[in-house]
Amino acid sequence: MIMLKKNEPAAATTTSVAAYIPADADFQLKNDQNGISIDSNFASQSFWKDVSIRFFRKRSAVIGLIFVLLITLMAVIGPHLNQYNYSAQNLAEKNLAPRIQGIEYLGIFDGSETMITTTGTKKVNNYANEKLIHTFYWFGSDKYGRDIWTRTWSGTRVSLIIAVAATIIDMVIGMSYGLISGYFGGKTDMAMQRILEIMNGIPRLVIVTLLLLVLHPGMITIIFALMLTEWVGMSRIARAEMLKLKEQEFVLASKTLGAGSFHIIFREILPNIIGPIITQVMFSIPTAIFTEAFLSFVGLGIPVPQCSLGSLISEGYNSFTTHAYQIVPPIIVMALLMLSFNLIADGLREALDPKLKEM
Amino acid sequence: MKKTKALLALLSTSSMVFSLAACGSSAYSTATTAAATGAGTATTAAAAESTPAQPAGAASKDALKVMMETPVQSLDPQQATDGTSFEVIADYTDGLMQMDKDGKAVNALAESYEVSDDGLTWTFKIRKDANWSNGTPVTAKDFVFGWQRAVDPNVASEYSYMLSDIGQIKNAAEIIAGKKDKSELGVTAVDDKTLKVELNSPVSYFTSLMYFPTFYPVNEEFFNSCADTFGTSPETTLSNGAFILDSYEPAATEFHLSKNENYYDASKIQLAGLDYQVIQDSQTALMSYQNGELDMTLVNGDQVDQVKDDPAFKAIGAGYLWYVSPNIKEVPELANDNIRKALTFAIDREAITSNILKDGSKPTYTAVPMDFAAGPDGSDFSADQTKFQDVCASDTAKAAEYWKKGLEELGKDSINLEMVVDADDAPQKVATVLQEQWQSTLPGLTISLKVEPKKQRVKDLQDGNYQLGLTRWGPDYADPMTYLGMWVTDNSNNYGFWSNADYDAIIKECTTGDLATDAKGRWAKLYDAEKIVMDNSVIFPLYTQCNAEMVSTKVSGVEFHPVALNRVYKNAVKSE
Amino acid sequence: MKKYITKRVLTSLFTLLVILLVLFILMQLMPGSPFNDEKLNDSQRAALYAKYGLDQPIFIQFLNYVKNMLTGDFGVSYNISKNTPISQLIQTRLPISINIGGAAVAFGAILGLILGLIAALKHDTWVDTLCTVISVIGVSVPSYVFALLLSYQFGFKFKWFPMLFDARLALKSSVLPSVSLSMFTLASIARFTRSEMLEVLGSDYMLLAESKGISGFSLIFRHALRNALIPIVTVLAPLIVDLMTGSLVVEKIFAIPGVGSLLVNAIQSNDYNVVISLAFIYSAMYIAIMLAVDILYGIIDPRIRLAKDGK
Repeated sequence: MIMLKKNEPAAATTTSVAAYIPADADFQLKNDQNGISIDSNFASQSFWKDVSIRFFRKRSAVIGLIFVLLITLMAVIGPHLNQYNYSAQNLAEKNLAPRIQGIEYLGIFDGSETMITTTGTKKVNNYANEKLIHTFYWFGSDKYGRDIWTRTWSGTRVSLIIAVAATIIDMVIGMSYGLISGYFGGKTDMAMQRILEIMNGIPRLVIVTLLLLVLHPGMITIIFALMLTEWVGMSRIARAEMLKLKEQEFVLASKTLGAGSFHIIFREILPNIIGPIITQVMFSIPTAIFTEAFLSFVGLGIPVPQCSLGSLISEGYNSFTTHAYQIVPPIIVMALLMLSFNLIADGLREALDPKLKEM
Repeated sequence: MKKTKALLALLSTSSMVFSLAACGSSAYSTATTAAATGAGTATTAAAAESTPAQPAGAASKDALKVMMETPVQSLDPQQATDGTSFEVIADYTDGLMQMDKDGKAVNALAESYEVSDDGLTWTFKIRKDANWSNGTPVTAKDFVFGWQRAVDPNVASEYSYMLSDIGQIKNAAEIIAGKKDKSELGVTAVDDKTLKVELNSPVSYFTSLMYFPTFYPVNEEFFNSCADTFGTSPETTLSNGAFILDSYEPAATEFHLSKNENYYDASKIQLAGLDYQVIQDSQTALMSYQNGELDMTLVNGDQVDQVKDDPAFKAIGAGYLWYVSPNIKEVPELANDNIRKALTFAIDREAITSNILKDGSKPTYTAVPMDFAAGPDGSDFSADQTKFQDVCASDTAKAAEYWKKGLEELGKDSINLEMVVDADDAPQKVATVLQEQWQSTLPGLTISLKVEPKKQRVKDLQDGNYQLGLTRWGPDYADPMTYLGMWVTDNSNNYGFWSNADYDAIIKECTTGDLATDAKGRWAKLYDAEKIVMDNSVIFPLYTQCNAEMVSTKVSGVEFHPVALNRVYKNAVKSE
Repeated sequence: MKKYITKRVLTSLFTLLVILLVLFILMQLMPGSPFNDEKLNDSQRAALYAKYGLDQPIFIQFLNYVKNMLTGDFGVSYNISKNTPISQLIQTRLPISINIGGAAVAFGAILGLILGLIAALKHDTWVDTLCTVISVIGVSVPSYVFALLLSYQFGFKFKWFPMLFDARLALKSSVLPSVSLSMFTLASIARFTRSEMLEVLGSDYMLLAESKGISGFSLIFRHALRNALIPIVTVLAPLIVDLMTGSLVVEKIFAIPGVGSLLVNAIQSNDYNVVISLAFIYSAMYIAIMLAVDILYGIIDPRIRLAKDGK
């Protein structure tokens, strides 16, 4: 629809060559006795306004958005909501189970945990044992006596930054690479795909660990390492979609009308493949977070005492059979974050898809 | 050619992924049968040699099931360097001596030995009934061959210094340096059963070197018949010890040894065999132990809370000293004595061992760790941990005082330091705590941690490319010199490039000088040397490592040692 | 088509050679050295370098390596298992990793496809939400957490499966590791199938097919799924290689003698030959699969003109 409208002036100029000057009457509806209604409302809406209306109409997408905003908010203010900070250790208060003021009287979050020992199962409450009547760790404390609540939220902050960086990299580098390679095909495609094969044919682990060994470990290095490896998946999706679409009629139409390659790639085809691309972005977020987590697992992740959701999960993993509650908060935040991103992705996909446009 | 084919097969398997995914189950069964037959033939072959009547499966039923943390790196006694490899090699190979349950050297392949009055010539008589598992007798030549390999520059054995610097065997140092031929090594086979060893200077602990795997014999003929594959499979290993290797492949995660019926001491061996299982994940290991799939396993950290009431739980001394090495030469802040004192006083070693490690490790305030070196009077060299308390203790007030003084001398109000740490679990935990203890006790100090794989960490330390380094050192032999020898000028493991002429003189006197034969005088001098190290805060000792081990109550008689052979199973008994 | 495939195979071989060279250069950049033990002195280290030819210029090393490789010699390990030929080191490990990874891919892909299909067909219902939740859990919980959970429940508590890998019970002891490895594949395939199917189901030709009276089963499998397959295959391909070349964490938990942990250990201990040969096998598998995928594209969707034969 949009396409046609855009091309109207072009058509007009061609006809003007024939020395016919159209009169206003040419554009009046003939025999309009019934007063056919023209939807001026629709035409006046910009594309993005349209998208946002359709996005907010989908309840699940809105819920997802609210969760992401909430988690982001917690990542900002969460660490400041109690007296602990993320790095301070208190070895006298280590491995305390979650305990929350008020709720503890309901029999949950009262600081007790069940220990499975080789000599039998026992229920212990270390708050009572150590005379810590007025101490509360909402999510419990870890093996160094650090507050898991504070660490979870500051870890969320780090992971969100890594996720956002990964997404932007994916979008910018990966997508353009794939689209261009797929669109031009032939020799260009061959060359670009071989370069990609070399990049991707070397196990990611080798590249990433090497990078981290050579450079100083830290957030920037991790993002740089992700940048070198993460965009490949996206470029493959973009290329596959391009291959699927580029021989289709509307591309041909656009080409015939004299549109340039970049116009076709980014204005005509891109909106049509936004669905799978967004889905891929949503997957590159957990991949990025987990690559970082894996690096933490082999000891090359974010430098201690800083933490990320990934490093918290691998720390919690080490206490899984002893103090299972330590792995729960980061996993729940991670899952919620993923679920919300997915819901948003779904909403966006439908809102952006020009084919699903309602008239 | 055969290898190419195998490789082609591998590659073609990989390209057939789709078909493989589709018929996954059939692929499994073939692999299983192949593996099973492979193992089967190996076991039967070995069993046929020892006791034809005993079926292979029965042996592993009453075998002792042991967990190891890391796979074996090498079964070549002259190439192996790690405790795991040493333990397995010693399971099936005897040296001239072996360790008794207290770690003292007692005769093994040596029936008797004599030492000349000047302490420079040792003559060992080898047992008449000692045989290799292929039937040939163990002779003095096997030792000559093995020892020559240890110093051969082409073999480049890491432990060659056990023969040269430590053992003081004649010409060893020259051969290692490539100045003499290996045939000139001061060890000769007088006859088949007599071995003569010549030394440069008397070595008081020489017998305790003889149980160290680098000194084990290798049968030359057999070695040559294996070409380059020596020690990579049951067929390419030869046993002269209590057990025989049944199934093994390089870096295997599980392998098996069974009792050697032809061992000269076979009547005393009660175990049917040993089942080794490599498990790198401590939680899986403990669960397997609880399910009865293991008889012995290591536990760590918070897992100790789960097992501490269990009678099977034991804390076993591992001998390692963990310490922080400050780079005194390159880092001006650390060249300041008060800063170093502040750092060492700020460490709460008790908190690290009892709250974080929990495996029984002991806080250590001496440069030589506890419980591995007994003196002439039988007492432990480092039994008294308070002897350097005025230069090394846990005292935050004193630390702050030294810190203030040090900062004034440097004219600074804040210092940033970086500590290099191994990418393993325990060192990272310790470093996390150290970082916090230092930063909270010493105002203006920022510590960052650089986590590296061990190989890189060692290189950075040896190159002096670091500021603080968290490291450990395990004793090679039961004498304080295994530690004190490290801090002489130009030793490659004197990471801080610290140098002190008095210290060097004492160490020289104790190794090759007059004191080498005077046990008591030497012992006293070694204390003096240790005092110099501690007074100058050349290292910040942290703790002597212990391993928290579960040993099923059905099992008794397993001997644990902090030096050389960590676990010995010759006297172990497993009851049902 | 034949010409195209020959050309692709030849370029792939060339790519592999380039990758090998890049790997060699990467090894040079790696800090540390394989012979960096506290107990070695400088002259011993130099002797070891000379013994393994590591003192030669990088290009000579590379040529020697390629020459030896063509005769089936991948060199020896320096650290992990001293002086053991690499081929001996991996010949039993690689099939184990391939089997476990292959099973994980098959399991994950099939289940993921089914889950995605159901979700797409029941779009915007509670079934769809349930499928979304399952796949979200699949991507947000790391495989090692699944592995430990499964090991705890089914190995330790119920004792249905062995907790430790046992070559004699390869099939039974591969179940838990395969399932825990398949979760990510399952989740991503489910998500992609869903989004692709939604796209396809909304397209004009589906409307046409429907109006032609083609019924449910045939409609979905012959017309819809086939069109949705391209991106799914694209996502699946690299996952196959990743899974079949072993996973450090899952191998650690189940004590599996696979190649994943071998690679990590080799990188950390500077065991060059092990890193190079494992990375090379990975590359070869990767490139082979990519080749297969490109050819598959043409089969799945005849509209894609790979070779541009016509012009």
